[in-house]
Amino acid sequence: MKTRLAILILVVLLALLPAYAGKYALYVAIHILLLSIFSLGFNLLFGYTGLLSFGQAGFYAVGAYGCAKILLAYPSLLVGIVGGVVIAGAVSLLLGFLCIRHTRIYFSMLTLSFGMMIFSLAWKWRDVTGGDDGLVGIPRAPLEIPGLFKINMAPMENYYYVVLAFAILAIYLFYRIVHSPMGLTMQGIRDSETRSVCIGISVRKYRLLSFTIAGMYAGLAGALLPPLESTVTPPLAHWSHSAEPVLATLLGGVYSFSGPIVGSVLFYLLKDIIVRFTEYWQMCLGIIVVVLVMGFRGGVVSIFSRKGGQR
Amino acid sequence: MSGSKKISRRELLKAATVAGIGGMTLGLSKVGEAASPKEKPPAQTKSTKKILGVDVIKLGGQGVISGAHADYGWQIQAGAVLAIDEINAKGGILGSKLELKFMDEELKPAVAVKNARYLATDWGAHLLFGVDSSGSAMAVGPILPELDRICMFDHASTHRLTEELVYGKGIKQIFRIAAPVYQESNLAALIFKDFPNIKRWAGIHCDYEYGYSVWALFKDTLKKYRPDVEFVSIAWAPFWTMDFSSHISAVMAAKPDGIIATPWAGEGVMLLRQALMLGVFDNIQAWFQCMGASVDILEGISNEVAAGKFKDKLWATARYIHNYPDTPENNKFVASFRKRWNRFPNYSAENAYSTIYVFKAALEKCRSLKTSDLIKAMEGLKIMTPAGERFFRPEDHQAIYNVPGGRVVKDPNYPIPVLGDLKVFPAQAYYRNPPFEPLAMAK
Repeated sequence: MKTRLAILILVVLLALLPAYAGKYALYVAIHILLLSIFSLGFNLLFGYTGLLSFGQAGFYAVGAYGCAKILLAYPSLLVGIVGGVVIAGAVSLLLGFLCIRHTRIYFSMLTLSFGMMIFSLAWKWRDVTGGDDGLVGIPRAPLEIPGLFKINMAPMENYYYVVLAFAILAIYLFYRIVHSPMGLTMQGIRDSETRSVCIGISVRKYRLLSFTIAGMYAGLAGALLPPLESTVTPPLAHWSHSAEPVLATLLGGVYSFSGPIVGSVLFYLLKDIIVRFTEYWQMCLGIIVVVLVMGFRGGVVSIFSRKGGQR
Repeated sequence: MSGSKKISRRELLKAATVAGIGGMTLGLSKVGEAASPKEKPPAQTKSTKKILGVDVIKLGGQGVISGAHADYGWQIQAGAVLAIDEINAKGGILGSKLELKFMDEELKPAVAVKNARYLATDWGAHLLFGVDSSGSAMAVGPILPELDRICMFDHASTHRLTEELVYGKGIKQIFRIAAPVYQESNLAALIFKDFPNIKRWAGIHCDYEYGYSVWALFKDTLKKYRPDVEFVSIAWAPFWTMDFSSHISAVMAAKPDGIIATPWAGEGVMLLRQALMLGVFDNIQAWFQCMGASVDILEGISNEVAAGKFKDKLWATARYIHNYPDTPENNKFVASFRKRWNRFPNYSAENAYSTIYVFKAALEKCRSLKTSDLIKAMEGLKIMTPAGERFFRPEDHQAIYNVPGGRVVKDPNYPIPVLGDLKVFPAQAYYRNPPFEPLAMAK
């Protein structure tokens, strides 16, 4: 009951944010929501299925480029976002088929390689991706269902509500997934692959499912980016971008539902605040992350559990 | 521990976390408060006495100040600080002092956009400037109308910024003070058209937009003057390449007379040193290092130049060189810069220094901080700067000024190499001019 009340208050506060926050705060809030979606998807693979991926930024970029290309050709926000997610899902299904045959470091290296292949593709396939300059002038198209409604997305506040709605939907779906038999099966595979096989679970099928859903979450986060920034560039697919959900999840807590979300808030705000004051922000951020990771074994969220590291 | 008054580690961490998150949330809400209502107006501290209506004119700058290319951002910052201090010492602009906030662009377009948004909508910058990477410039440009701010680009050199975004799409908030890629491509062609013995050209180029556009423009322009030249080999080097031996071997296999190369910063230094080790300068007649007259590269190859290892075959240019022009403005700037920072200014520094004086001239001309007024004031503006007279072409907001190319030589008057045997061409002769046709850039 307490948790539900806290969630309700949080949602109300987020819904009221445009009333008391400026444009930059809204911009930061949108980025935190995107990182939260990105990290949640990553944690389905890592925290719930036991597969550490270093290539999630590749799917993020596929979603972003997919949405951008659609919006440039057909300016409809919903079509762009849904299209970006579908394309990212298809690519993650394809690459997942190749990656989930391996586990541990081999899986991580495969995902890293495929992620960097997507980065190279974005960099080199200039006719489609615009090369290193990327795609520019992507419109923040109206939210429209022909015959029903059409909402102008030019004001940042309107777009914030779209992102918030998608984020709430994504978090709710994630909750349902991880608490469903499918989610519990994934956790079973994480804890003991051998036992899972012995009771007749198709481990590869569930791993592929987890990989594809994680790719779609990354794709959703990516697809929500181009209407905000009006541009997409290859660094979105770079491995250093893949490290962001890893860090956010480790900060927040791998084995807790809200860990990636709390970690995303912490990670983004820490960087945003430090970078304003010093050119040595990387060193400062590094020290803080080390202290947080060492001080909060199991993530920041675990400190609020009765037992540290409780799932 | 139960019943004890001592605070457990868990409780301590819990309290610290709550305090930390609370602090950050307050910080974020402060962002909101400061921006209230909804968006912070550029002017924060109103004053009835000031002509511009503010005590402080806020300048938001950004460049790469971390990583291997950090010197370029440092130079932008150093040039801007020098100009701001000079102007503030004389009372500011129309009675308003200047204040600078400079941020790290990290050579990442997403970061550059975030910085621009923060500087304009949260910190309250009236004017923006800087940006090192072309990709970042192409990302920042389109959001300027939404931010309602002018940005003066000090380094990013892609022709697309001014040709496509300003001339093509009409984004009037974009201005560029630095010479674009015309400088190292078309100027090189004009220089080498007069070398009849150099007929076979090869290229070692950055494997991104910058390298593609330089190579395409160089070939097009040179072929117009010299139909007899051949382009015999090309090697593309990805960003962060540190071993160029395979690229050098590949182009040398085609036995070129001349090589034109775009890798810049530390990559440029590595390329030149490796070319020396492989004996390239014994077998070619000329090597044109596009941004080779940048101070960081000149410092990096100083010993080799002093020892004559390049055999007077190394040519270069930049978007400004510290030994040209020999004018009071340039001599004063170089002396002040050296006194303040104990280094020579590179083009990023001069571009940033001049940016601040362009802002000053525009503000004094229109006596307003409104973006639309400033755009009018800057279009067609002519101003004397250390690099010479600059003219902001109204059609594409590109500053027109000429920078020579020349041989990299040792001069007893300078502790680092300079450009000698200068080849000066009027800027109009080597800049692309409107109406612009899209540039075909096949690799």
